[in-house]
Amino acid sequence: MDTQPAIAVRGVTKRFRLDDGSEFTALDDISLSLAEGEFVTLLGPSGCGKSTILRLVAALEAPSAGTVLVEGKAPAELSRQHRLGVAFQDHALLPWLDVAANIALPFRVAGQKVDEARVAALIRLVGLAGFEKARPRQLSGGMRQRVAIARALVLKPDVLLLDEPFGALDAVTRRQMNIELQRIWTEQRTTTLLVTHDVGEALFLSDRIVVLSGRPGRVVRVVDVPFARPRDPAIMRSALFHEMSDDLTEALAPPAGAP
Amino acid sequence: MKAMTRFFRSSWGILAILLFWQLWVGLSGVNSIVLPSPMGMLRSLAADPALYLSSTAQTVALAALGLVLGVALGTGLAVLTWFSRFLAGLLTPLGIIFASVPVVALIPVLARIFGYDMRTVLAIVVIICFFPAFVFTGAGLRALPPGSADLFRVLGASTWRRLVLLALPAAVPDWAVALRLAAANSILAAMVAEFLMGTSGLGYLFASARSDFDMEKALGASAIATVISVLSFLLASRFEGWAGRNWR
Amino acid sequence: MTEARKTFLLGALGILAFLALWEVAGQGRWLGLSWPPLSAVLALLVDENRQPLFARALGATLSSLGTGYLIGGAGGIAAAALAHLATPLRPGLERTNAFIHAIPSVALAPLLILVVGREGTPATLAALNTFFILYVSTASGLAATPPALKDLVQVLGGGRWTRLRRLDLPMALPTIVSGMRLAAPSALIGVIIGEWFGAPRGVGVLVINAMQNFQIPLLWAAVLLAVLVSLSLFGLFGALHRGVVARLR
Repeated sequence: MDTQPAIAVRGVTKRFRLDDGSEFTALDDISLSLAEGEFVTLLGPSGCGKSTILRLVAALEAPSAGTVLVEGKAPAELSRQHRLGVAFQDHALLPWLDVAANIALPFRVAGQKVDEARVAALIRLVGLAGFEKARPRQLSGGMRQRVAIARALVLKPDVLLLDEPFGALDAVTRRQMNIELQRIWTEQRTTTLLVTHDVGEALFLSDRIVVLSGRPGRVVRVVDVPFARPRDPAIMRSALFHEMSDDLTEALAPPAGAP
Repeated sequence: MKAMTRFFRSSWGILAILLFWQLWVGLSGVNSIVLPSPMGMLRSLAADPALYLSSTAQTVALAALGLVLGVALGTGLAVLTWFSRFLAGLLTPLGIIFASVPVVALIPVLARIFGYDMRTVLAIVVIICFFPAFVFTGAGLRALPPGSADLFRVLGASTWRRLVLLALPAAVPDWAVALRLAAANSILAAMVAEFLMGTSGLGYLFASARSDFDMEKALGASAIATVISVLSFLLASRFEGWAGRNWR
Repeated sequence: MTEARKTFLLGALGILAFLALWEVAGQGRWLGLSWPPLSAVLALLVDENRQPLFARALGATLSSLGTGYLIGGAGGIAAAALAHLATPLRPGLERTNAFIHAIPSVALAPLLILVVGREGTPATLAALNTFFILYVSTASGLAATPPALKDLVQVLGGGRWTRLRRLDLPMALPTIVSGMRLAAPSALIGVIIGEWFGAPRGVGVLVINAMQNFQIPLLWAAVLLAVLVSLSLFGLFGALHRGVVARLR
C-alpha cells in the first residue's frame, strides 16, 4: 500500500449496554476508507448507526471490535493534536461568545495565539461579514450552522467531520447551505466525512456515498458520484442526478414486506 | 408625566401601605412608643444621621465581606468537585441538605462556638452565603450548552481549558442566581446575628432602641435595613437578568 | 441503574462522614464544650424526661407553621391568579411583593407583635415568606402556558376564567408544587424568627433560651429538631412534586 487512507475503518462492531443490562448492536462489521481530500457521505435511515461511525472517528466512542485509524493513528491522538474539525446538528455554539469569538474558540482550546486574519477570512468565506459581533441567539438557524462550519475549519484540520449539520434547517435553507458548503469545500478540499439522511444533499456534496441499513448498521451499497467539481447547482436538475437520487432513495427504503 | 404614571403603576401597593399606616396611627391615636408613624420614623432618621450611618456602614461592610468570602469559598469548592466525580458525589447531597435547612436557626449554635463578637457575625454570613454558591455553581458547571462537551473533546481540550473556556462561563447564570439568594440573605443574617448577640451595627441599634422603648429609632433601623435589602435584591436581580440574557 | 446506585451510595457516604466527624469533633472537644458529640444530642432528643418539653415546643411551632403556610400559600396563589387575570395590577403587585419580602424578618417582627400579638407573629412571618415564594412560582407557572394551547381554548370559546381553571392552573401545577417545596424551609425560618421575639413556646423559644442559659446539648437538640422538621417537609413536598410531574407530563 503506497498511500495510506486518511480514514480507515476496519471490521468495526459497536455494541451498547442498555439501562436494563441488555446489549444492543449498533454497528456490525463495518469497513470503509477515505482517501486524502475525499468527501464521503454516510447515508442511512435514522437509527442506523451512521452517527456512531462518525463518533468513533471523532474519538467520542471506542469500538467494541475492529480498528479505526485516522492518518494511521488512533483518533484520540489526532484530537489531542487539535487536528480534527467537527460540526454537529446541535450547532454547539457557546451562547456567551460572539460570532468571531466562537470561530476563534479552537485556537484558544489548542492554546494557540488567535490568528485574527484567518478568523476574518473564514467569516467572509461563510458569508457572515458584518455579523462578527452578533451573539448566536441573534442569528437564524442557517447562520448558526455557517458559524459552526467556519469554526470546524479554522484550525485547517486534517479531517472534517459533519454530523447532520443541516438536520435542523428547513428544506429551502438546507439547499442553500448545501450550495454554500460545496463552494467552501471546493476552496479547502479537506478530507470530509458527512453524515446525513438527505439523498440530495449526499449526491450534491460527495465524491462517494456509503449507504447503510438500520439495526444493526451494515454497509449495503457504495456509490461513486460522477459530477465534476466545482459543481453548479444546475446539476441538481439533471437527469442523471434524478436517476441516482431515485436509485439511492430505493436503496434506503426497507425491503418490501418489512414494516 | 409618563414616568409618573409608570411609577404609580408599579408602586401603588407600597404607597398604599405607607399611607394606610400613617392614617391608622394618626386616626387611632396610639402612642408613638407603641406604634410610630412613617413620618415619626423619618424625623428620627433626620435627627441623628451619624448614628444610623455608622451602624449601617458596619452591618453593610460585614454583610458584603461575608458575601464575598462565602460566595468565593462556595464557588471554589464547587470547582474542586468539578475536577473529581468522587468529591462531587460525596459533597453534593450534603450541600443540598444544608442549602434547604433553615440556616438562620443555626446562628445561636454558631454564636456559642465562635463567641459573641463581630468575627462571629462575619462567620455566620460566610456560612449562609457558602451553601447556595456551592450548590448552584456545582449545578451550573455541569449545565453545558448542547453538544459543547462533545465539541471540546473532539477539539482535544485539556481539563484546564475545558474548565476555563466552557464550564466556568456556562456556570455564570446559575452563579448569578446563587448571588441573588446570598445577597438577600447576607443582610438578614448579619442583622439577626447582631440582634441576637448584641454586638454592634444595625441589628444592635435595633435591639437597644427596642429595649429603650424608642420605637421610632428601632423602626428607623428597620427601614434602613429594608432599603439596603431592596437595593441589593434589585442589583442582584439585574445582574441575574443580564447574565441570563447574555449567557443563554 | 448502577450509576444511580453509585451516586446514592456516595452521597450517603458523604452524609455519614459528616455525622461521624460531628461525633469525633464533639468527643475530642476540638471546638470546646460548645460542640457536643452527635450521640449526646441524640440521647437528649430521645430522653423520656424531655419528651413533654420537645412535644410542646414542636406542637406550637408546627401549628404556627401550618397556619402561616396555608394562609400565605393560598394568598400567594390567589394573588398570582388575580395578577394573571387583571393584567394592569401586575406590576404593582409584583413590586409590593418584592418590597415586603425584602424587609428583614427581624425588622418586621416587632411591628407584627403590635399588630397581631406575640402568639400570632410566628405564623404571620411564615405566611409572608410562603406568600412571596408561591406568588413568584405561581406567576411564572401561569405565564408558561404554550400559546398554541391558549389559542385552542380561545377558538373553543373559553373566556379568561375558563382558561385559568381548565388550562393555565393545571399547566402551572408542577411549578406551584416546586414552589411549595421551596417555601417550607423558608416558612420555618419565619416561624423561628417570630418565636425569637417572645412567643410563649416553640422550637425557636427553646433555641434562644438554651443559648442564653448555656444549655449546649439542649441548644443543639432544638436546632436539630428544626432541621429535621425542615428536611422532612422538603422531602414530603419533593415526593409530591415527583408525583405531580409524573402524572402531568
